Amino acid sequence: MPRPGFVLEVDERTPPLLVHEGEGYRLQKFPWGTRVVYPPDSLPAIRDVNAAIRHALLSPVGSEPLPELLKPGMKLTIAVDDISIPLPQMRTPDVRQRILEHVIELAASKGVEDVKIVVATALHRRMTAAEIKRMVGERVFRSFWPNDLSNFDAEDPDALTHVGTTDKGEDVEISKRAAESDLIVYVNVNLVAMDGGHKSVAVGLASYKSLKHHHNVDTMMHSLSYMDPREGRSAIYDSATRMGRLIAASGIKVFQIETTLNNDTFPSQLGFLNKREWEWSAFDQGLMMAARKGNDLAPPRVRREVFRRIEADYGLTGVNAGEVEAVHERTLANLHRQQLVEVRGQSDVLVMGIPYIGPYNVNSILNPILVHCLGLGYLFNMYRNKPLVKPGGVVIMFHPVPWEFHQIHHPSYIDFFEEVLAETTDPSTIESKFEQQYATDPWYTHLYRTSHAYHGVHPFYMWYWGAHGRDHAGDVIFVGGDAKAVARLGYRRAGTFGDALEMAKDTVGPSPSITYFHAPPLMIADVK
Amino acid sequence: MSGVRDELKEMAKGFRWGRRPLVPRSAEPHVLEKDDAGFPTDWARTDAGVAVRQVLLKGVMKPILANELSMRVHGLDNLGGLEGPVLFFSNHTSHLDATIIMTTLPDEWQAKTAVGAARDYFFDVWWRQAFTALVYGAFPIERGSGSKGVGKARELLDEGWSIVVFPEGTRSPDGHVQRFRHGTARLCLEAGVPAVPIGIRGAFQAMPKGRGWPRPGRPPVSVRYGRPIVPEEGEAHQDFSRRMAQAVAQLHDEDRSTWWDSLRRAERGQTPSLSGPMGPGWLRRWEGSRPVPRRGPERAWE
Repeated sequence: MPRPGFVLEVDERTPPLLVHEGEGYRLQKFPWGTRVVYPPDSLPAIRDVNAAIRHALLSPVGSEPLPELLKPGMKLTIAVDDISIPLPQMRTPDVRQRILEHVIELAASKGVEDVKIVVATALHRRMTAAEIKRMVGERVFRSFWPNDLSNFDAEDPDALTHVGTTDKGEDVEISKRAAESDLIVYVNVNLVAMDGGHKSVAVGLASYKSLKHHHNVDTMMHSLSYMDPREGRSAIYDSATRMGRLIAASGIKVFQIETTLNNDTFPSQLGFLNKREWEWSAFDQGLMMAARKGNDLAPPRVRREVFRRIEADYGLTGVNAGEVEAVHERTLANLHRQQLVEVRGQSDVLVMGIPYIGPYNVNSILNPILVHCLGLGYLFNMYRNKPLVKPGGVVIMFHPVPWEFHQIHHPSYIDFFEEVLAETTDPSTIESKFEQQYATDPWYTHLYRTSHAYHGVHPFYMWYWGAHGRDHAGDVIFVGGDAKAVARLGYRRAGTFGDALEMAKDTVGPSPSITYFHAPPLMIADVK
Repeated sequence: MSGVRDELKEMAKGFRWGRRPLVPRSAEPHVLEKDDAGFPTDWARTDAGVAVRQVLLKGVMKPILANELSMRVHGLDNLGGLEGPVLFFSNHTSHLDATIIMTTLPDEWQAKTAVGAARDYFFDVWWRQAFTALVYGAFPIERGSGSKGVGKARELLDEGWSIVVFPEGTRSPDGHVQRFRHGTARLCLEAGVPAVPIGIRGAFQAMPKGRGWPRPGRPPVSVRYGRPIVPEEGEAHQDFSRRMAQAVAQLHDEDRSTWWDSLRRAERGQTPSLSGPMGPGWLRRWEGSRPVPRRGPERAWE
C-alpha cells in the first residue's frame, strides 16, 4: 500500500530539501516550522496494460462497446492528445500508442476504411514527424503518416465547422473532419485534473474563435480552482463543459478513452528525485551531489540535451472508455487517488521550485513567459478549495528565468515579451489592447500553419493562466532569476532564499508562516 | 573547490553523516518499512574475520578493559566438558557487557561465538555496523518483532555458532535487572541448546547508559559464569525464561556472598531478587548505582 502524501513540519532533524530550479536543482535549508507538502508515493502500475485497454474498450461506461460502434463504410476520426503531456515524456511505448493500436485493430477487423488520426494540438505548435512517431509508434506512423495522420490546423478555414453557440453565447467551432465523422475516438492522457473530459474535443480540436470564450482574463480570474472541475468551481472548465454538451447535443458522437498515470515522474537513475530527502541512502546522496556538480559544470547545450532526454517511468493507474462525463468522473477518482494531499489552512508565504519542463517547452526552451505560466498558472493552481497562500501573501519561486526564447517554437512570445510586457503587465490591458492584433497577425498564422510555431495568441493565454495567481499574491519573488527578465515580468528578484524571505517580510510581516510545495511529482493540495 | 567543500559540509551536517539517521518528527508516522536485506555480517564470521576478531579482542579490547577496569572472572570451569553451540546470556546494564563476555571467553569459545545486537541501534550507520560485526561477530536482532527477529540467531545456532544474547532486550536504565523477554528462552527451546548464565556486577557503575568510556579509577567489575541450564522435555518457554532469570540472580547472590550461601538460599527459594526496590525512579537509580565493593567477599583463609 503506497503511502499517502503528507505535510512535513521542518524541525532540527530535517535535512536540507531538494528544490527544482529550471535545468538543475539545489538543496535548500528551510526555517524551522516551514510546512512542506509531499506528494503521495507512486501507486502500483497496472501490470497488463493491453488487457486493461481491451477491457475498457469492450466494457465502456455509458456507451456501447467500441466494436459495436464501428461499421463498414463509416467515417472514423481518432484524436490524440499532443506531447504537451505527460511531463517529462514517458518511456516508449507511449500509452497512446498502445491504445491507438487496439482501436485501429478493432477498426480494421470491422471493415472501417475511412480512418483519420489527428493530433489535437489546438493552438499548440505542430508536432514534428519524429515527435509524432515516438508518440504513436512505428506501426501506426508507417501506416497513416502523412495523409491520414496529421496535426490539427486551427487556422484552415476549409477544415473548420461552426457547430453552434452555447446558451452563454460561446461559439463552438471545431475540426470539420471530426464534426462530420460518424464517430470520434479521443485518446487522452490525464496528467492533471483540468485535462480531459469535455476539454478534450471542445478545446483540443477547436479554433481561436471558440477558444477565446474561455481562454480569457475574465474566465481565468473567475476560476476558483482550475484543478477542481466540479460545476461552479472552475469557470474555464464550465465553459468547456457547455461546449462539450453542445457538441454531444448536435449529434457528434464521441467515444472518450482516458488514462491516468502514477507518480513515477523521474527514471530510476534519478530515483532520489522521487524520494523524500531523509530517506535518501548514501548512494542517493552521492548521486545527487555528483549529478548536481556535473550539471553545473556542463555547457548549457549539453545540460539542456541531458534534461531533454529524461524519460519518465510512468505506469498506468487506470484506463476508462465510453461517454465523456461518465469516463471523466472515473478518471478524476483515479487521479485524486494518486495526487490529492490534505493540507490544513493557508500560509503567508508559498515556496515553489520551478522544474525544467512545462507543457509548452517539450524539446524546447522554458522562456520567461512560460516560467510565469508554469509557476503562477500551473503549480500555484495545484489546489482544491483555496490556494496554499493567503490572499496578499508572497509567492517565492526558484528559477534562473533566463532571457532566452526558442526562435522556431515561440516567435510570438519574443515579440510579446519585447513589445507587450515592456508596456504593461496587466492582463486586462494586454487583452484589450494587444490580443486581437497578435491572434490575427498573418505572419504568426503562417508560422503556426507551416512551421512549428505556437499560435500568435498563445503567449497571451500563458499570461492569462497566471493572472489569477498574480492577482492573488501580494508579491512574487524569484530566487536566482535573471534580474532584467524578472523585472520585465513585473516581479522581484532575490539572490538567495534568505534574501527572498527578508523581502517577503515587507509584505507579510516579521514572522510569516511558510509552505513549500514539494513538486514534482505532481499533486493537488486539498486546502481545508 | 571551497564551494564543493562547503556543500559537502552542509550535506554532512544536514544528512547527519556518520551519525544515526533521524526522521523529522512530523514524518515519523510515514516511515517506510525497512527491507529485510539489512547489513551483511556473514563476512565477519569467515576464517579471516575470526582471525582478525581474535587479534582485536586480545590485542586491543582486552588490554583496554584490563587498563580501565578491575576485572574479576570466575566460573569459567563450568564451560569445561561442554560442547557448543550454547547460548550465553547475562544481565545487561552497559555497553561493556558484550566486550567483557567476548574477552573473557576461553579461546576455543571465543572463535565460535557471535553476539546478538539490536538492529535499530547497532546496524544503523555503516561504520557502526562494520565495527559491531567485526569486533563482536555480531548479527542483527529485530527487537519487538517476536520470533521473526531472531531468524539469524537460529540460523547461526544451526551452523554450530554459540551466541551471546541479552534477554532483557536493552540496557537497564537504573542498574537493576529488567524483565527477561521470552524470545531468548523460546530460541533455546526451539534450537535445543543449553543456556549458560553469566552474572555481571559493576558494569553499570563503571559505564552506565549514556557514557561512552568507563569511569576513571578502574572501577571493579565481576563476571561469573554459571552452570549451563538445559531445557527439559516439554518445558514451556515461560518456565525456562524464569529459570534463566533465577540463574543470573543466583550468580549475583554468589558474587555478593559465597557459593555455599547462595546455594542454600536458592534451595529455600530466598535468592534476593535483582529487580531492585519498589519506589520512585531516583531510589532505584540510587540503589542501582551503589558502588560494588572493591574486593570480593572475604575468603576463608584471609
